[in-house]
Amino acid sequence: MGTGKIKMRRFSGYRILEHWGIILTSVVLFATGLCQRFWYVDSAQWFILKMGGVDTVRLIHRYAGIMFSFELILHVAVAIGGVLRGRWGPSMLIKKEDLQDAVHNIRYYFGLEERQARCDRYDYMEKFEYWTILVGGFLMMGTGAVLWLPTVFTRFLPGEVIPAAKALHSNEALLIFLINAIWHIYNAIFSPEAFPLDTTIFTGHISRERMLREHPVELARIEGVEVDELLGNGLNEAGSLKPGVEPGTP
Amino acid sequence: MTEGKKLSLGLAALLIAAAITAGHAGEAELSAEAVKCLQCHEKKGSSFRFQDGDSVPTHVSAAKYRLSVHSALTCSQCHTDFLADAHPSRRFKNKDQYRMRASAVCRGCHTAEQIKAKSIHTNLLLREKEGISSICTDCHEAHSVIPVAGGKIVKSETQYCMSCHQHEMSMTCRNGEKIHLTVGMSISDGNAHDKLRCSDCHYGFSSEEHPKRNFRSRRDYTIASSETCRRCHFDKYTKTLDSVHYTILSQGNLNAPVCNDCHGSHAIPHITRGIKGRTITTQKCRKCHPGVYAVYAKSVHGSALFNEQNQDVPVCIDCHTAHNIDNPLTLEYHEKIPQMCGNCHANPAVVSKYGLSTGVLNAYLSDFHGVTLGLYRKQREQLYKPARPIAVCTDCHGTHNITSAASSDPVAVKANLVKRCQKCHKDANENFPDAWLSHYKPSLTKYPMIFLVNTAYKIFIPLMGLGFLLQIFLHIWRYAVNR
Repeated sequence: MGTGKIKMRRFSGYRILEHWGIILTSVVLFATGLCQRFWYVDSAQWFILKMGGVDTVRLIHRYAGIMFSFELILHVAVAIGGVLRGRWGPSMLIKKEDLQDAVHNIRYYFGLEERQARCDRYDYMEKFEYWTILVGGFLMMGTGAVLWLPTVFTRFLPGEVIPAAKALHSNEALLIFLINAIWHIYNAIFSPEAFPLDTTIFTGHISRERMLREHPVELARIEGVEVDELLGNGLNEAGSLKPGVEPGTP
Repeated sequence: MTEGKKLSLGLAALLIAAAITAGHAGEAELSAEAVKCLQCHEKKGSSFRFQDGDSVPTHVSAAKYRLSVHSALTCSQCHTDFLADAHPSRRFKNKDQYRMRASAVCRGCHTAEQIKAKSIHTNLLLREKEGISSICTDCHEAHSVIPVAGGKIVKSETQYCMSCHQHEMSMTCRNGEKIHLTVGMSISDGNAHDKLRCSDCHYGFSSEEHPKRNFRSRRDYTIASSETCRRCHFDKYTKTLDSVHYTILSQGNLNAPVCNDCHGSHAIPHITRGIKGRTITTQKCRKCHPGVYAVYAKSVHGSALFNEQNQDVPVCIDCHTAHNIDNPLTLEYHEKIPQMCGNCHANPAVVSKYGLSTGVLNAYLSDFHGVTLGLYRKQREQLYKPARPIAVCTDCHGTHNITSAASSDPVAVKANLVKRCQKCHKDANENFPDAWLSHYKPSLTKYPMIFLVNTAYKIFIPLMGLGFLLQIFLHIWRYAVNR
């Protein structure tokens, strides 16, 4: 981020705070949760003993879970409320353009397309991540509640829901952990486009250059022009590259 | 030869002669009367009959008599009725009557005062006061009696001790109880200690020492005697010091068992490892724990042991050990229970013939209760943090009253389970025990819902992981190509 780069506001202070909150609760939940699932691993046992025993680990996990649930519900409430009040559009909803963008990009990786897909505020990868974690989060909330209060739930549900909840909770947690650890961390840190760190969610700002490359549809909407115009002389009417233009130029 | 040499030679000869005569105390020439009597009595073959059919041989060994302390005496100094030429016939009812009469003669020289000086005679004199005669020749032999200090009276120490202890005798404790000191003659035949001598255990007693001891009660005597076992069985003795029996004994409960209570004192049998030995051990514990025994006898383990002589079932000492018996109500013991049951129930060699699954231990250990138990144990050992008791095998299956799961009424089992769960999960209802998968691994037939969930994720997670990695790889590749 040097001089001469135009910085645009992408996330409000609230979003930055929200993300920090979710980082912290997730780290605590993963640490205290995975050591319970993989209890037979030596380092898990070391961690449990360091924390003061399995009862303490469970306590921390549950209260972090409460925090996580609060954050989740708050997020959904704010999102829906904002849409209803017209403050922002439902930018995370999955549309057919996302599927087209996904296919387009796969073809691009194999060299069958000349440029990357043009995405809106959130590209298909970000939407995928969002939805899996959101739905997964609610699943964790529900199954977590069953595991915390087994006698309450078995008052009106059969006893097998408890081991079923345990299987779901444990497996879903592993899935979310892998999504986060592999996918999200790659995109945010190790991806060549983001390396060393995608700071947007921490500063709230994104450079116009990146906006142009990653979210051109949104940029066009903000600046009130057509996407093609935005992308400049690189394209002809058909949307193909004009002769003499290097591929990869936005 | 010179004069001096002759003199010294003669002196030496004299000295040697004196030495020979002095050294053999009593190997003096026998009296004329003795020689006469021995003419007949040295011959073997004749005996003196009693009225009850018993007899005593009349043979006297001259050689032995010469060596004895009484060789200076003549026969009639003891056998007062007899002379070499006067031989009255006498009639005795039985051998004992004859021997009593004979022993009365000894008391002519050996007064009660003299005899009392040796404490070994104390009880004999006490019995005499009660009217029971002593028979001196039980210990001392008649004609070949040599000084007691020589210790060569009898062939073996056991014989020496038994010569008194075969008879009815007892000692009185301070509280008035009597301890019977009679030892049955067959005490050691074929038993574990039959190669031992009396003094190996009764340390401090010998032909020379027979201390008089004063015990407060019979129980005190038994407890004190058990200390002897320590001399050879030190390993087992130290184990008992760790046991709950020793704890309550040292707190003052004298009824707590000591070595003798279970093993006996004289007729200690060899340890039999077969079914007989296993059943015998239960009878020992039964003495003090009859209620537990009754419950155990009705259980699936107990009835198999007693009715079918089944070797595979646990007896008391399998779970409670024999010597270092832990208090079974402690958390440490509680935590050992799954491994204890698992010794048999996870061992295919033992339980597969009964149609029982060996996966039951692992099913428990990989579920919530088992995992927590393992962690609680570690916490207690490493953090010294007290743990809560958590459900183990016995909490659902019972301890002494274990019944076969297959033969139990399922409704009753379920009702019992709810009660047990409620011990920790106070508001559990009848749905709650179904949360426990009864040691089953979920499969398509048993708990299919859970099996399907697990399988779905087992497929989905690797698939997704692969997808991500592929996507990342492609992305980087295209990026590299672009550059």
